[in-house]
Order: sequence, then structure tokens, then C-alpha cells
Amino acid sequence: MKDLGAPLLFRIMEKRKKKRLREPNPFMGPPLKCAGRLRQIMTRHYYLSRFAKGARPVAWVTSGAPVEILRVFGFYTIYPENHGALCGAQKMGPELCAEAEKKGYHSDLCSYARIDLGHAFSGKTPAGRLPRPDLLFASNNICQTVLYWYKQLSHQWDIPLITFDTPYNFQEIRSGDIHFMVRQFEEMVPELEKISGRKYSHKRFQKIIRIAAETSRTWGQVLAAMKHRPAPMTIFDAFVHLAPVVSLRGLPVALEYYRVLLNELNERIEEGIGAVREEKKRLMWDNIAVWFKLRDWSHLFAERGVNFVAATYTNAWAETIHHLTEESPFESMAKAYSLIILNNNLSHRLKLMEKMIRDYQVDGLVILSLRSCKPYSVGQYDLKRLLMERLGIKSLIIESDMTDFRTYSEEQARTRIEAFLEGLGV
Amino acid sequence: MHITRKEYLLEQKEKGRRLMGVFPALYPREILWALDIVPAEIWDPPLEIRQAGAHLQPYICSVVRLGLELILQGKCDFLDGFLFPHTCDSIQNLASVIYDFIGARKPCYFFYHPKIPHGHTARDYYLKNLKALAAELKRQFGPLKMDSLREKVDMGRRISELLGELYDLRAARRLDASNEAFYRTIRKGEYLFPDDYIAELEGFLTQTRSEESRNGATIILSGILPNPPQILTLLDDLDVQVGHDDLLNGSRRLLISNEKPGDPFEYMAECYFHMPPCPTRGSSISDRMRHLLSLINATGAKGVIFNVVKFCEPEWFDVPNLQEELKKRGVPSLVLDTELNQGLSGQMKTRLEAFIEIVRVHRESITTKH
Ligand code: SF4
Ligand code: SF4
Repeated sequence: MKDLGAPLLFRIMEKRKKKRLREPNPFMGPPLKCAGRLRQIMTRHYYLSRFAKGARPVAWVTSGAPVEILRVFGFYTIYPENHGALCGAQKMGPELCAEAEKKGYHSDLCSYARIDLGHAFSGKTPAGRLPRPDLLFASNNICQTVLYWYKQLSHQWDIPLITFDTPYNFQEIRSGDIHFMVRQFEEMVPELEKISGRKYSHKRFQKIIRIAAETSRTWGQVLAAMKHRPAPMTIFDAFVHLAPVVSLRGLPVALEYYRVLLNELNERIEEGIGAVREEKKRLMWDNIAVWFKLRDWSHLFAERGVNFVAATYTNAWAETIHHLTEESPFESMAKAYSLIILNNNLSHRLKLMEKMIRDYQVDGLVILSLRSCKPYSVGQYDLKRLLMERLGIKSLIIESDMTDFRTYSEEQARTRIEAFLEGLGV
Repeated sequence: MHITRKEYLLEQKEKGRRLMGVFPALYPREILWALDIVPAEIWDPPLEIRQAGAHLQPYICSVVRLGLELILQGKCDFLDGFLFPHTCDSIQNLASVIYDFIGARKPCYFFYHPKIPHGHTARDYYLKNLKALAAELKRQFGPLKMDSLREKVDMGRRISELLGELYDLRAARRLDASNEAFYRTIRKGEYLFPDDYIAELEGFLTQTRSEESRNGATIILSGILPNPPQILTLLDDLDVQVGHDDLLNGSRRLLISNEKPGDPFEYMAECYFHMPPCPTRGSSISDRMRHLLSLINATGAKGVIFNVVKFCEPEWFDVPNLQEELKKRGVPSLVLDTELNQGLSGQMKTRLEAFIEIVRVHRESITTKH
């Protein structure tokens, strides 16, 4: 597809950005140089999507879905959850949610879903325009919600929906479950051939798998860089830099990007540059980011010498996907995608959090309780209690939504954060 | 039968049967019966939430919160284990909270049913899961005799026939029973062993079968379960009959299969894929709509009440589209956002009464084009 107009758009954006440049925060280290490149990659991705329709088959995909299989058929992929995060960061959450609510969708439903449905009904988006999909591709490895949500789009637009059903791992993963998932992949192939009009190529698939696994591995190294003291990056950066591994996984651009980012982080480590100038305490984050508070909170914590160095959320794309192997792409994909954090039991999550707390030398934990997201949130109270009992780790629970700030109380959150930080002695 | 659910379960225990607390909604009860296990389903125990709040956020549905409360208050101590079907995200995580963290000191079983509603792959997988569950249960509860399983499959089939007959009679307005009595009886299936349930249903059929056709308006009740029960009594007071339901613990669990049972596992799988559509099984909106329209056609219902449990995602997502489609066909509908066991607020009562008024005046025939 031609890169029509993209360079011009970037120039305009850069000009606008320069106008908006804010004063650097004295408590934070220099910003990541890579940030501009990331912005370009993601803007280009959304920009080109406007011209994808007709040129390439377009799929809307859930964040945990095994997108590698779609890449074989050349699908241009759009991630409504990533778009939801973008809307959240641009503080458009309530506006788009309200569009869905006007149509009868309850305000208690996941706000990513409401934003997406709101966009589908109104066309509103900070990304200019999103192409209407030829295929909806959903996997319930993150939640059942995406199945209910994608079903609405499928009905609304009369577009095929392919569901990748990943049985929840109540205990260990079972061979029958793996077999079930592999068979689903095998059945998907002819369907995808039909929708895309392209033939399956095993060689192409293996190459994509290789890139995806390497991207996930490199993303893991990016995150692991935060084990250093001072951490060269903050988790608030990682929330933003997560976009390529989510949305562009399996494409060379994402891998290249993380290699550049990793180099930059290694340089910072060598030079002793921290994301927070004086890193006194290190925290871990549990759950999705609060997109509309990203900047405020990174400053708020940095002012007290506190850095977030780990998050269960950002770790999700580094935990299992690097296990993909080109020798057994379907089977390794089945395992990798069904073992991700939200499709695994809470005992696994507890062990994972314990390990991360140790590995990243974490002093405290901030838990976001999200009314939007049951699978991430149910069990957090017990996780908090058990981590305190086992590791003596202090934690704070904040109630908020990731995008819809109508339910968020700034005053309450501030008071709780202040009290928590005092408890940590900063 | 005039004993309470608890008394009945204790009596069963004395007889040597084992008791399994079962969370909603879809599970192969025949396997449990064949192992001489009485499934005691946990939907809406009449409790006040006191302890569950320490484990679950307030935005989790009351089915899940009440179920956990029942365990925390020690009211499940006489049970021999728990079974968690994979109904939704909230039950999924509740299962893990109980098994991994709270330590109910009981064996816990988990049953995953596919979220792809059609096809060989899903069917084979379901079949394998039935057998895997049977093997797991056997390890704790003793041998599973195929004869016994066949017998229990037959009983399950008989129950479905009786329920089918009751539902059909009610749809044809030939059942002389209040809404409250109908669901009180049907819901005994949540804990009665099959022979007792069959006797209960047969008795109820005999008592309520009527030659005369009932008058009054008819509606369809959709949602998870008929709670708060005051909805039913209000409809009774207003002389409105629930002509059919689209309830997860009602007709969505009716096993409908024209096939004769051969291999019991195959038969159970067959039934599962023939159940009426349900979002917890991944049914599409069009399947649900077609089904709702068939219920409306069969009963001459003049409206649909969506009685949706607060925070229940599987239900809430489908409601706007279903309402919209009904509206296009001139069928009025009402959506209630309900907390279990909280009764009917004044506002809900007024809305229900106003809706029934609309239904009453809406006498012209309804176009139900597919
Ligand atoms: S926020 Fe939670 S419920 Fe919503 S799509 Fe993501 S995982 Fe699913
Ligand atoms: S009421 Fe809905 S959310 Fe609650 S347990 Fe039942 S299906 Fe799940």
C-alpha cells in the first residue's frame, strides 16, 4: 500500500507538537528519544488504515488474539482496545461511551467495548477514521466480554466473526484443550483463505511466527531493563511503548522498534540515567493503565522519588508469546495464547506477582480495581492480602476506570495515593 | 413435598448420597446423579452480603457475591464438593478465588463448555470434557456404572419431557398455575434428585393441567433467573401470565433432542448443542432473536421483559440489539436492572405496571417476520 500523504501528516503533527511542548518535569529524567519514533509508527499505522480498505483485507482483532495467523493472509489489523486506550489518553472516553449508552448499552459494561461501539455508531475517533472490517477476530483468552462485544459488531455490520476459544486453565493446561485449539486453527485456514482471497503459505507463517516470538522476547528485555537501579524507564512509558507488540506483532517494524528502544535503555543504564531523577522507592502496577491519568500520575509519583518498574499488564505480552516456535506453530500458538495471565488461574497470577516483586525489587504495589474488567479485577482483594502475608508488601487499591473518567474521583484517589506514599516513607 | 431445600439435602446425605454445590449454569447433571451425587445449585441464596465484600468488588453481580457469601457463612459445610461451570468471567475468577485462595476445604471441579456454539470441533471437545469430568469425579466418588448413567440419562430425558409439557401447556394457556407457583416448582430441579423431581413435576402437571383456556395478557420473561420473586407475584396480581421464558435457569437449559439415547455421553453432547440459544454458550444475536420470536409466536405474548441481573455482562451486551429488533416488529419490551433478593423498588413496580398497561392496549397482532 502506498504511503500516501503520511510524511506530510507527520510534519504537521511535529509542528503542532512543538507548539504544545511542555516544560520538562524536574523530577524526571530526560524523556526517551524513541518516543518520537513510536509516535510516527503508530500514527502511520492508523493513517494507512484509512487506505487499507479495498487494498487489503481488514480485521479487527482483540488484544490477546493470535494475530500471526491473520498476517499470513495479509490482513490489515486494527485493535479496538488499542484505539480505546488512545481515546482514553485523549480524554474522549466519556464522549464515546455515551454514544454507546445512547443505544442502550449499560454504563457498567467494559469501557473499551463501549468506546468501540460508540465509535461504530458515531464515527467519532481521534484517529481520523477507522476502516470498517472484513473480519472480526476475537479470542476469549483475555475475557468473555470480547465475545459479547464482537458479536454486536458482527450483527450490526453483518461481518463474519471468527472466535478463537481458549479454555480457561483452572489448573494445568490439558492436552485435550491444546488439541481443541489446534483444530480451531486448522479450521480457520480455509475460512481465512476465503475472506482474504489469499492462499495459506506455511513458509510465510513460519517467518511471521519467528518475528512475533522475537518481538515478544525483545519486549521482555525492554521490560527487564527496569530491573536496574535506577530504572531507565517507567511503567508509564511502557504502557505507551506497548502499542507495537500489541498491534503490530509479527511485523518487522515492531521488532525493529524494540531493538532501538532496548539499545537506548541500555545506554541509559550505562550512563546511570533513571526515568525518575532520584529513585527512592520502586512500585509495581496491577491491571490496565488509567489512560487519562498517565501523565499526571507519572509526575505525581516522580515528585516523591517513586518509580513504577513493573506491571502485570505490560508483562502479559512478554510472558508466553516468545514460546512460539516455527517447528510447531499451531501447537505453540495454542499454548502461548491460552497460558496468558488472564486465562490462567489466580494461583499462577500470585506466583507471577511474587516473582516480579522479587526480580524487580519492588517496595509496594498499586492495584487498580477496574469495574470495566472482571477477569482482571476479581481476585485482587485476595492477591493483596496474600502478597502482604507472604512478602510483607504494602499495597494500595485504587478504584477507577481505564478510560471513562465519569466514575473516577480525583480527590479520593489523591488522598489514598498520598497516604500510601506516606506509609512507604516518601 | 413440604420440606425445605436444606432439610431435603440433609435427608439425602443420610441416605448415603453425596452433595455437590454447583454454581450456575450448564453442567452434565446426569453424570453427578449416576455417581449418586445430588447437585445443589447455588443461584440466589437468601442472604445478606456480610463477608463476601472482603473478597469481591461491589461491581460483581449478586449471583457470584451471594454464592461466595453462602460458603463464607459456613452454610455449605455439609456439602462434599463444588462444581464450577465456565459460565462467565465472574464465575471463572470466583472458582479460582475459592479453589486457590479461600480454600473451601472441599474438592473443587471445573467444567469448561465451548464458546463456539456449532461444529464438529466444539462437539468433540465437549464430549471429551464430559468424559474428563466423569473420570475426575469417579476418582473421588467411586465407580461410574454405565447402566446407572444410562438410567440417569433416561431420567434427564423424562424431566425434559415433563418440563417441555409444562412449558407447552402454559404457552397454550392451559396451565392453571400462578407464575409464582410455576417457578417455585420448576426451580426445585435445582436440588431435587431426579426421581423426586419427576414425581414433583408429574404431580404439578396433574394439578394444574386445565381444559379451559386462560385469559389475560401474556409476556415473555428473559434473563438469568426469576428473581426478585416479587416480579412474579406482581405479574400474578396484574393477571399477566409469563407465557414462556428465556431464562438461563429456566428454558435455556431445556435439553431438547429428537435423538434416542444411545451412548449416554454422545447423547448428552447432542443435547448440549441443541439447547436454546444463550450468550453464555456463544450464541449469536440472530439465533437469540429467532428464538425469542418463536416464543412470542408460540404464546401470543404481547411483550418481553428483560430482567437483567446488575453487572451481568453476557446479558447486558445482547439486550440493546434484541430490544431494537423487537421494536422493529412492534413488540414492546421493558428492561429491568435488578439486584437479587432486593425486592421491587417503588420505581421498578411503577415501571412494570406501566409496561403491563402498554402490553394490554397493544392488542393488535404482532408481525413476527423472520
Ligand atoms: S478491559 Fe477487560 S473486559 Fe474489557 S476487553 Fe479488556 S480484558 Fe476484556
Ligand atoms: S448473573 Fe451473569 S455475570 Fe453473574 S454469574 Fe450469572 S452469568 Fe455470570
